[in-house]
Amino acid sequence: MADSIEAIQKAKKTYLMVFGALLIGTVVTVLVATVPALDIGGHGFDIWDAILGLLIAATKSTLVAAIFMHLNHEKKLIYWVFFGAIFFFFAMGALFALAESSPILDTFFYK
Amino acid sequence: MEIPYIVKPRKDTGLINSKIAIWLFLASEVMLFGGFFSAYVYLRLGADYPWPERTLPVLPGLINTFILIGSSVTVVFAWVALKLGNWRQFQIYMGITVACAAIFMVLKGIEYNVKFHHQAARLHDYTVVEGHLGYELKDGADTHHPKDGDYVLDRNGKKIEENMIRVVAEKVTFAVKRFHAPWVSEMLAEAEHAKSEIKLAADIKMVVEEGNEPVTLAKAGEPLSLDLLGKIRKAQLAALKHNASLRTDALRLEWKEAKDANPGKKGWQLASDVNIDVGALEPRLLTEVSTVEFTVDPPTRFLFKPRDIKEGAASSTLRDNTIITGAMEASPMVFHNLDAIDFQWLVMKAKEKGISPETAIANSWLMKNSEFVREAWAWHLVRNEKKQEVLNKRYGFKEDGKTPKQTLTHKELYRLGWKDLGEMGVETKGVKIGGVAKIKEEFMGPNYKARGEKTFPHLSVPREQIRHAAKFSPAWNTYYAIYFTITGLHGLHVIGGALVLLYYLVFGRKMFLSNPEWFANRVEVGGLFWHFVDLVWIFAFPIFYLM
Repeated sequence: MADSIEAIQKAKKTYLMVFGALLIGTVVTVLVATVPALDIGGHGFDIWDAILGLLIAATKSTLVAAIFMHLNHEKKLIYWVFFGAIFFFFAMGALFALAESSPILDTFFYK
Repeated sequence: MEIPYIVKPRKDTGLINSKIAIWLFLASEVMLFGGFFSAYVYLRLGADYPWPERTLPVLPGLINTFILIGSSVTVVFAWVALKLGNWRQFQIYMGITVACAAIFMVLKGIEYNVKFHHQAARLHDYTVVEGHLGYELKDGADTHHPKDGDYVLDRNGKKIEENMIRVVAEKVTFAVKRFHAPWVSEMLAEAEHAKSEIKLAADIKMVVEEGNEPVTLAKAGEPLSLDLLGKIRKAQLAALKHNASLRTDALRLEWKEAKDANPGKKGWQLASDVNIDVGALEPRLLTEVSTVEFTVDPPTRFLFKPRDIKEGAASSTLRDNTIITGAMEASPMVFHNLDAIDFQWLVMKAKEKGISPETAIANSWLMKNSEFVREAWAWHLVRNEKKQEVLNKRYGFKEDGKTPKQTLTHKELYRLGWKDLGEMGVETKGVKIGGVAKIKEEFMGPNYKARGEKTFPHLSVPREQIRHAAKFSPAWNTYYAIYFTITGLHGLHVIGGALVLLYYLVFGRKMFLSNPEWFANRVEVGGLFWHFVDLVWIFAFPIFYLM
C-alpha cells in the first residue's frame, strides 16, 4: 500500500503508464481484428484470432487488477478470495468441455 | 453503531473490514459474469445457425472502452487526491469519472435503441432479410417520400407499422378459462370504432348447482363484455372444481372398495381400465363450457402483432387460445428500407442436404422475386472474386497450384450487409454521401435518408413466406439474447457504481473533513468495484464486437 507522499507520487506515474498500456492494448485488439494485413492465422476470424484477442484482454485485465486494484501487493486473504473465484470460473469452463465430450450419449453407458 | 476496523487494519487479516467485504463481493461477481460468459461460449459452440460474428459497430464500442479505461484512471487519481488531502482535485477526478459513466451509458443507449428498431425476418427457405419497417400508407401516397398526411392512422391516431396481421373477423371464440382481458378490450374498442357489434352467438345454458335444472347464464345476442366473459368463466371454474372433486371422490370410493375386497393384497398396479360409475355420476355433474362463441356483425378488420397470433387463411389463433374465424387479408411485412441480404443460413441448410449453394440461392424466394437482390448479388459475386484474388496473392495456393490456401469466410461469401450495399450504391449508382453522414452511420447504422432507396430499397415480403421475425432483440437469436444479458448486466453495474461514486462526490465533504482516512478507504472500495466493471468490459468488448 502506497502510503508516504513520495510513494504516492511515484504510483501516480505508474497509473499513467498503465493507462497508456491499456489504450495501446485496446487499439491493438481492434487493429488485429479489423485490418486484413494484421489478421493472424487463416483469413477471417478463427481460433488464433480468438486466442490473440483473449490474450490481449487477459493482459489488460491483469494490469488493471495488479496496478489499479493493487493486487500486486495485497494481503494473502484477498488472494485466496479472488483467485479462488477465478479458479471456480475456470472449473465452470471445464464443465463445458465435459458437455462437448457428451458422456451421456456415449454408447459405453448403454452397455 | 461503531463499525470496527474501518480505518485501522485488523491484526489477524492485516486488512480493513470493508476491503475484505468488497473483495468477497467481487469474487461473487466473477462467478456471476463468469457464468454468463460460459453461457456465451456454450451458445456459440452449440449454435445451429450461422453465428453473427463481428456484427456490432466497432467504433462506439471502442470509444466506450477508452471511456471506461479513462474513468478507471481518474478514479484512482481521485483516491490519490484524497490520500494527499486535496479535496478540489478529488472533486475534479471524481467528476470526470461520473461523467465518463454517463457518456458510456448514452452510447450504450444509442446502440440498444438502434437494435430495437432494426427488423430481421427469416423466410421459410432460411433466407434472412434485415432492414427497417415502414408504416402503412394511404393508397396513392408516395411510398419513398411520404408526408405526414400520407399515413393510415389507427383509432388512437397512431401510425401502423407494416408488420401487422389483418384478419376480417366474422366470429370470435374465446377460451373461457384463459382469455386475455386487454385483447378483449382492444377488440371491443376496435369494433366500436368500426361501428360493428360483437354478440353472443348462442344461449349459454349451464347447470350451476348440483341436481338443479340448467339456468340461462347469457342469452344469444348479448353484447361482448369483460363482465359477461368473467361471469361465464366464474361458472366454468366452479363447474370444473365441482366435477373434479366428484370424480376424485368416485375414484377414492373405487379404491376403497377394491382394497376391502382384497384384504392383505400387496403389489397393486395401476390399471388402465379403472371404471367409475359414470352413469351414477352424470346427473350430479355441472355443465362445463370451455369455449364461448361470439359473432362480429358486420365483420370487422382486427390488427394483431405477429407474435400474438398464429395466422391462417380462414381462421387464426391468438396466444390466449382465442380463435378468430375470418379471412386473413394480405399482411405483408414491408421493409421500407432493406439493408441486408443474408444467405448464410440458407447455404448452411442447403449443404446439409447436399445442394450446392449457388442452386439454393438461385432458387430462393428473394432471388426469384426481387430485381434489386438479383442485381446486388451479381455485383457481390464479382466483388468476391476480386477479394479472393487478394487472398490468393497473400496466402498462395496449395500444392496442386489451383486450390487457394485461404478462401473467403462464410459471412463474406453469403451475406450482403448494409455496408456492402452502401458500397454498391456508391460504385454502381453514383450515390454520394458526406463524411459527417458516414461517421453518423458508424453509430446509428445505415443512413437511409442520405443514401436513399437506390441503396436501401423497398421490399414487401408476403406473410406466408415468413418463418420467424423479430427486432434485433433477444427474441431474434441466442446471440442477441446473450449480448443483451451480458452488456445489460454490465450496464446496470456501471449505473450502480456511478451512483455510489456520485454519492461520494456530492455528500463526501463532511466525512472528508471529520474522518479523511475513513473517507479515502470508502473511495478505494468504491474504486475497486469500478475497476471490476472495467475488467468485465475489457473482456466483453473483444468478445462481442471483434469475434
